[in-house]
Amino acid sequence: MLNCIDNSGAAIVECAMVIGQKRHASIGDRIVVVVQKQRDAGAAGMAAASGAKVKRGDIRHAVVVRTKQKVTRRDGSCIKFDDNACVLINKSGDPIGSRINGVVGMELRKKKWSRILSMAPSQA
Amino acid sequence: MNAAPLARRPLSCLKSGLRQARQQKIFSRSMATRAAATPKTPSQVPDHNFYRLVDKKSKTLRSAFAIYPPTQAAAGIPLTPVKTTNPVAALHDLQIKKLDPTGARTALFARTREAAKVGDILLVTHRRGGEPFAGVCLSIRRAGIDTAVLLRNHLGKVGVEMWFKIYNRNVAGIEIVKRRLKRARRARLTYMRKPKHDMGSVAEYVSAWRKSRRVFQTKGRRGRRLLRGRMGRAGGRRNKGGERGREVVVVVGK
Repeated sequence: MLNCIDNSGAAIVECAMVIGQKRHASIGDRIVVVVQKQRDAGAAGMAAASGAKVKRGDIRHAVVVRTKQKVTRRDGSCIKFDDNACVLINKSGDPIGSRINGVVGMELRKKKWSRILSMAPSQA
Repeated sequence: MNAAPLARRPLSCLKSGLRQARQQKIFSRSMATRAAATPKTPSQVPDHNFYRLVDKKSKTLRSAFAIYPPTQAAAGIPLTPVKTTNPVAALHDLQIKKLDPTGARTALFARTREAAKVGDILLVTHRRGGEPFAGVCLSIRRAGIDTAVLLRNHLGKVGVEMWFKIYNRNVAGIEIVKRRLKRARRARLTYMRKPKHDMGSVAEYVSAWRKSRRVFQTKGRRGRRLLRGRMGRAGGRRNKGGERGREVVVVVGK
């Protein structure tokens, strides 16, 4: 179960599988998710007014942007977030939502997710 | 086929058997060489009488055990035990000297009064992009060149923790934003991850500190004195002279 931090309409999603590798997913890895909880219309504000793009039970692709597990960088520094979070994308790799609220990991740059990085308010 | 030679020789012929044995004995005697004499040093005869023997030739006392002179190296230099140092520690010292020639980084996390401690709010400036990361220091892992600090902060409602190696060249500077009012009574403040003790975002402390620095920059000496007084009171530490209350600690120039 991960938090979904974009305005696609999903709030909590469940990871079904990791794409392209047999290991666990880390920041910047692509996963298949099932939407478990929708963001309620009131909380999402303007974005929800245009209609949630995903519904409960939908199967979508997503990119992991935060992990509770420590991620070590090449210079020896480590980063660890308090939750696991992802951003939904479509099959061609473009984000479904138009906005991201929350910090994302810098590892996305290394894995060529620059669109998500530019949408995020802050990177760590 | 094996039974044939046995049958030729009578079984209980003791005489021929003994003859054979005698011949072998003579042969083996002729092979024997003279044994090397054991070195003896009569001067080192022990005090007690337990192992003393009278040497038959020289009629002097000698030890029953061989005593060897102290070992000598091939070049004739006496083999004294070499003074050993810890090679890992020596290597760490060497590397620290290389990566921290001014000693500022070492001093910032030394076990002194004015050094940074757990519970302090630190600001780490990274050389490679990104905003400087500020956070409460949860623990300091002292391990020679691998010495690292764990900082915790909240970025947009999400807790973020980062380890920084203090001798890393990419870490351009580490600054103390705010000292803890009282000394922490734990070495690792892992309890600060719990919601009850969580400090939340340290952004306001950092912005206040930035403002105070601006005072420091514009007003020159007077501002600095003012700042020092304020910091000293806020920190709850005794503030003798300028060096103690110094805030900006590491600025590494290259």
